Amino acid sequence: MNKIFIAAAAVVSSADLPAARLGPRFGRLDLQSRLALLAVASLKINFGGFARDRTGICLAASAGSLTTDFNFWQGRDSVGGPSPTLFAYTLPSSAAGEIAIHFGLTGPNLCFVGDDKNLLSEAADLIRRDEADGCLCVFCEVVSAEVAKIISSPPAATACALFLQRMNLETGVAISGSLHELQEFDRDMKSRCALISRTKSAG
Amino acid sequence: MRESRVVIAGCGAISAAGCGIGPLYAALKKNLSGLRPLEKFDSPRFQSKMAGAAPGIFDDENPAWFLAAEALQQARESARQILAEIPAERTGLVLATTKANIAALERISENRPCSVIARRHLQANLLAEDLAKNFGARGPVQTVSVACVSGLAAISQGEKLIQRGEADAVFIVGVDCLSEFVVAGFSALKALDPAGCRPFDAARCGLSPGEAGTAIVLVRENFAADGKIKIRGFGGSNDANHLTGPSRDGSGLAQAVRSALKSANLPPDEIDFVHAHGTGTSYNDAMESLALKTVFGDACPPVIGAKGMLGHTLGAAGVIETICCVLAMQNDFLPGTPRLSVLAEGAPKSLLREPRFGVRLKNVLKLNTGFGGMNGALILSHE
Repeated sequence: MNKIFIAAAAVVSSADLPAARLGPRFGRLDLQSRLALLAVASLKINFGGFARDRTGICLAASAGSLTTDFNFWQGRDSVGGPSPTLFAYTLPSSAAGEIAIHFGLTGPNLCFVGDDKNLLSEAADLIRRDEADGCLCVFCEVVSAEVAKIISSPPAATACALFLQRMNLETGVAISGSLHELQEFDRDMKSRCALISRTKSAG
Repeated sequence: MRESRVVIAGCGAISAAGCGIGPLYAALKKNLSGLRPLEKFDSPRFQSKMAGAAPGIFDDENPAWFLAAEALQQARESARQILAEIPAERTGLVLATTKANIAALERISENRPCSVIARRHLQANLLAEDLAKNFGARGPVQTVSVACVSGLAAISQGEKLIQRGEADAVFIVGVDCLSEFVVAGFSALKALDPAGCRPFDAARCGLSPGEAGTAIVLVRENFAADGKIKIRGFGGSNDANHLTGPSRDGSGLAQAVRSALKSANLPPDEIDFVHAHGTGTSYNDAMESLALKTVFGDACPPVIGAKGMLGHTLGAAGVIETICCVLAMQNDFLPGTPRLSVLAEGAPKSLLREPRFGVRLKNVLKLNTGFGGMNGALILSHE
C-alpha cells in the first residue's frame, strides 16, 4: 500500500510580498492569488520530477473571494467602469488557476470555501484514488479591513501551503525527498505547516 | 478502479425553465428558451439584458437562500421514502456556488437594508451550514467553489463522501443568482451576447447569465429501487493556460474526459450522448468542439447544450444540467440545443438542434469548464 508524505510546507503573509519575484504578471494578481502563489513557490518543489497532469491542487479560502469581490464592486463606478481584470479574481478558485498557470500543472483541482479541515484528507484521497501522484494543499485567509467589518471577522492576509506525495513502499523509493508521513489524525493544515516550517528553519 | 455505488434518488430545481422538475422536463421536450430581457435590475454598464431569470418575485435580500431552499425542499420531497431510512447523522450536504448571496454585498455597498441572515449568507460556507441544519443533514458539510465546474465537482465530492463511508446520503445543492455584480463583470469582459446566447451557432458571440437553485439527492445504491442512475465516473483537470480564456486546443478538457472514462471503466464509444458546457462564447464552444474531436474522433455521439434555455447558471450549472441528463435518461429522449440555428464550422456534426424521442440512453457524459482553466467531466450510467 502506498503511504502519503508531506514533502514540504510553508507559511507566508502580506509582509513577504514585497520581496517576492514571481514573474512580470505577479503584481497584477489579486492579493489572494499572490499569497497562494508565494506560499507554493516557497515550498521550493521541483515539479520537473512529476508528471504535470498527475499533480493536483486542493485549495481552501476561508472567506471565499470576498476581499476581491468588495474591491471589484467598489470600483464599479470608476472612469473605466468595473475592472474586467479584477472580475476574473472574484472566484476563490482563481488562486488555484494562477498556481496552475505559473507551474504548468494540469492535474485535478478542488477548491473549497471555509476552513482547512478537509484539505489534507481530500488531497490524500486524490492520490489514493490514483487521480494524482502529488498534490498541493493551499489554505488562504484573506480578509480586508472593510470585509472584516461586513462579516464580523478579524482582518487577515496569510496563506500556507504544503505538498503531499505518494511513496511507493514496494520499491522503497520516494518520488522525491520526503519529510513527514501523513497521519490519519492530520486535519489541521495550518498548525502542521507552521510546525514543519519552524522545524526546517531550526534545522 | 473501484466501482461506484452511488445513485441519484431525487432532484429539484428552480430556474428560467420554471419552478420544479415538471416545468424543466416540459421545457426540455419542447426545446424552449427561458432567456428574456432582464426586469429585476438594469444599468448602462450592461452589455446585454438577455438573461435566464427564475420565476416569481422573491427575497431581494437573500435570493441565494430562497433558490437553494426551494430546490432542496423539492429534492428531499422527491426522495422522501428513501431518506426516511437514512438518519440525519448519515446525511451530508455539498454546496456548489460561485457567488453565494452576493446580493448582500450590493445592498451593503449602497447602504440599503440588509438582514443579518442575508449578510451571513454572503459567506458560502455559512449558507451551506444553514441549509444543512434546516434540511436535516447532520453529516459532513462541504462548500465547493471551482468556478463553473462547481456543480460537477460537488457531485463528485458527494459520491466520494458516500464511497468513503462518511455518509449514506448527500444533498448536492447548486445555487447562483442573477446579480448586477455578475452581469456587470461579464459586461466588463465583453463576454455577453446582446441577442442572447446561441451555443455552437455560427453567429454566436457570447453568453447569457442565468440563475438557478438546484438539488440532487445522492444515496448509497442499496437504499434505492430499480432503474437507478449511477454516478459512474468523474475527471478533472486544469488548462494551465489563461485565467479567463480556455486553452485553444481543448487538450485540458480532453484530459478530464479521458480521466472520467478511465474512472468509469468505459471506452469512448459507449457514451450515448454528451451534454456540453456550450456557453455560446466564441472561444469556449470552439475549444469544446476540439476536445470532443480529440476524444471521439469522427464518431462523436449526439451533443446537446442547455444554456440557450437556462442561461449560464455558473456554480449551479453542473447540477441543473446533470438533472437535464437524468430526465433524458429516465424518459428515453435526447434533448435539443435551444437557440442553435446554423451549426458553427468545426462544431460536432452530431449536435442536435431539436429533441429526439424514443432513444434509450445508458451512459451519458456531462462537461463543464470554468475560469481559472478548470475542466470537469461527469459520467452517469442508467442501470
